[in-house]
Amino acid sequence: MESLGDEPWDVVICGTGLQQSLLALALSRSKKRILHLDPNDFYGQHEAAFSLQEADSWVTTHTGSSGAESVAQTTTAAPAEGSAGPGGRVFRNANVWRHPEAEANGLTFSRAYSLALAPQIIHTRSKLLSQLVSSRAYRQVEFLAVGSFYVHEPARGDEPAKLSRIPSSREDVFSNTSIPAKSKRSLMKFLKFVIDYDSDDQRDVWQAHADTHLSDFLTTQFKLDDDLRKYILALTLTLDGKVTVANGLAVIHRHLTSMGLFGPGFCAVYPKWGGLSEVAQVACRAGAVGGGIYMLDTSAEVETADVHDKVSLKLSNGISVQAAALISSRDDVSHGETISRLVAVVKSPLKSLFEATVEGAPAPAVAVVAFPSSTIPASESASDPPVYAMVHSSETGECPNGQSAIYLTTHTSPSAKKNLEQALGSLLATAAEQETPICLYQLYYEQTVSEGTPLVETVGAVPKFSFPSPSPNLAFDDSSLDTVKQAWKQVMGDEAQDDEFMIFEDREGADANDEIYE
Amino acid sequence: MASAGGSHGIARTARRRTDEQRQQDLDRIAKYRGLEDQIREQAKAHDYASPALFDLTTRLLRLNPEYYTTAAWVMALEGVAEYISERHYETAFRRLLALVLGCDPARPKVPATYEEWAEWYNNHDESTKILEDAGAGRNSKNVANDASVLQSELAFTIPLLIEFPKCYWIWNHRSYILSLCIELLPVSLAREVWTAELGLVTKMLTKDRRNFHAWSYRRRVVARLESDVLDGKSMAEQEFMYTTKMVNQDLSNFSAWHNRSQLAPRVLDERKADHVARKVFMEAELNLAREALNVGPDDQSLWYYHQFLMSQILPEYKCGARSWSRIAPDLTLEERTDYVKREIEEIRDLLEDYKDVKWIYEALLEYSIALDGMCKDKGTTRPKQELTEEAQTWLETLRQLDPLRKGRWDDFAQTG
Repeated sequence: MESLGDEPWDVVICGTGLQQSLLALALSRSKKRILHLDPNDFYGQHEAAFSLQEADSWVTTHTGSSGAESVAQTTTAAPAEGSAGPGGRVFRNANVWRHPEAEANGLTFSRAYSLALAPQIIHTRSKLLSQLVSSRAYRQVEFLAVGSFYVHEPARGDEPAKLSRIPSSREDVFSNTSIPAKSKRSLMKFLKFVIDYDSDDQRDVWQAHADTHLSDFLTTQFKLDDDLRKYILALTLTLDGKVTVANGLAVIHRHLTSMGLFGPGFCAVYPKWGGLSEVAQVACRAGAVGGGIYMLDTSAEVETADVHDKVSLKLSNGISVQAAALISSRDDVSHGETISRLVAVVKSPLKSLFEATVEGAPAPAVAVVAFPSSTIPASESASDPPVYAMVHSSETGECPNGQSAIYLTTHTSPSAKKNLEQALGSLLATAAEQETPICLYQLYYEQTVSEGTPLVETVGAVPKFSFPSPSPNLAFDDSSLDTVKQAWKQVMGDEAQDDEFMIFEDREGADANDEIYE
Repeated sequence: MASAGGSHGIARTARRRTDEQRQQDLDRIAKYRGLEDQIREQAKAHDYASPALFDLTTRLLRLNPEYYTTAAWVMALEGVAEYISERHYETAFRRLLALVLGCDPARPKVPATYEEWAEWYNNHDESTKILEDAGAGRNSKNVANDASVLQSELAFTIPLLIEFPKCYWIWNHRSYILSLCIELLPVSLAREVWTAELGLVTKMLTKDRRNFHAWSYRRRVVARLESDVLDGKSMAEQEFMYTTKMVNQDLSNFSAWHNRSQLAPRVLDERKADHVARKVFMEAELNLAREALNVGPDDQSLWYYHQFLMSQILPEYKCGARSWSRIAPDLTLEERTDYVKREIEEIRDLLEDYKDVKWIYEALLEYSIALDGMCKDKGTTRPKQELTEEAQTWLETLRQLDPLRKGRWDDFAQTG
């Protein structure tokens, strides 16, 4: 291992989060010498997936509300790259709850679970998928279909609470029996508009309102009633209910135009075995095949800058290495947006949520349930922000057969945890067929985001590019791919050619099987 | 999906093949061609049952899975080998080789015209003979043998259908084999084959809901399954439900709506529906058409079905030479008038949100004029000669939306 320090590295990447890993994939066919580190003993960093044991140990290092000491933190003045910076931690207030008779009720061995920190769904039109294909990394990821989107409707008078499927196509609107005729017409008009919204004709309709709230726009321009507004806002997966017209229309447009792209009946996919953590791992694997050196359980600190045009780094195993470029991730999150997440394992397959609605469609493994902002007519104002539940069947590999993994998300507030628990209870009451299923396990934590832009600085004469912390959006946002490309351009310098970014040929012998020619 | 386009969309193809890779490609091509030559040699020796030949074709298949016919035959043969006599085995291989070698190795040549099919048959007289013999009942009484020959013939066409789902001649060939099944096999076995055929058509319609050929083929398969030769009974009810399923998947399915209009009267007759039941049915269908038009007023196939329903309601003398009323023939003039009034109201509602769809105005005009006539007969309306003001605006809009059909719109103005 001493040889690590002998030759200087073109790039040292700290952290195997999704963006850093995609960068490694992008660089995997270049001649750059790459050293890719992660202070954790698992891949994926802020987008990792955990077995129960891994979740437990992760929780012990992220418990507490302040920028608490990390077990892995060194005692030197400069904080280790990729671990807690002085501004505060990305994750905090984590805790785990187990049912008192969890094992008796079916909570099985630790590795039967793979709980995702980043359960983002990926729309089929997303550039992430086309990049995984063109870079030949897609074969190692198994994608499952995301099925229906629902809105939870609380009990009204005699009617019990229920889950209403959000219509996403003309046929959905047609077969819906609860929307009145006039409302259906308004909804169709809106859907037609959105599909075409970025054309010259339609821009006039919305451009002037681009930065206003989408919910107002839906009322004034399209006369959508409360129920329809709830459906449309739910499709945007807005976490604060205040999504703008420009952003909201973009997401709905992506949702609608993604429908049917890879097959009938679904508009998004989800990677099996833990969501984005799988993509990160596959990307790292490609980096390794391309010659990159991978070291987990290893962090790095800057020792001295200015060693010619390199920076000297001290690894946590004591070795010193030289780097011509540094890649890291931002941990300055003290003032960022914070979300609260509850990951629950329940003892039920929740089959009613995973029915394929279209003939010939693959059986979905993910269902999305929105709990719109409650408008409690209480004197103290503010309605609680919406809660979203991503329900995963055991097909995702994240829990064993007969159980489901549910990821609930909302904006952090004093009542956030309570709201998440209530939403979980409502969901189980409405989705289950017979008795309300038991909850076996719960993981709670809060996640803060840094600024959305990368931090580009220099350490001595060496460029340092820090990726922003992962976005809390529930659907994968392509803009993070632009950041990866930006980092790639910086590393490749003059050699960067746009038409070679993430576009590779199959490696020789990767696909072919020569023995059949013998 | 993969964006392999470079700058200016010029495809990046083999630009980056190294010399090594190019040589590797050449070697592989040579081996592939060599394999084909070997098969040709073996074929010349007419030793079709040789394991070596079987082996060669298997390797060819692994190299190029595009050899659909090879795959089908290998599978069919492996499955039924023990039932096929040597003679059939020979035939099978002759056909296999002819297809595989007689043309471009990348694509099996599918006969496209009647002449080509005739030529194909004539060049394979062995197989034709067998089928003819079978057809004339001259074959052995061995039903299992016949069944397997017929089944393998059917299996042979499957991959061709997958590749050319709209080729009329493949369907025709299948029909021929299927009718032989009826002639040669016991009814229960023949029924199984034909039921499987319905399953096949259903699969094809799942892949392509509006395949016109598949729909008309389906009708023929269903007709056979219903007929005496297969001990059948009516399937109108199931087929009616199937059209419901299909329009729910895709409203723009003209064939499904058309099928539905053919099946509706039969379904009612079979249910022995009385006047009340028929009215209930009519109202449910009108609801369906209305819900569909509400979300898709620009879809002609929906207007087609609505017009069909209206033709069942309007008195015959009001709608010219259209189908006579078989859904609810005993509607009184009062009941008919009420239905028409309701439809006009419902369609008028559509105008609130859809202002540029000419079908709406056309329907409103047509049914208003018909209503006028019906009211006249009842003696309950003013003997006016012109259209109401409202109808005039509809006519004006129609003229603007579709100026090319001026003649038709003029007719409206006169009959009002």
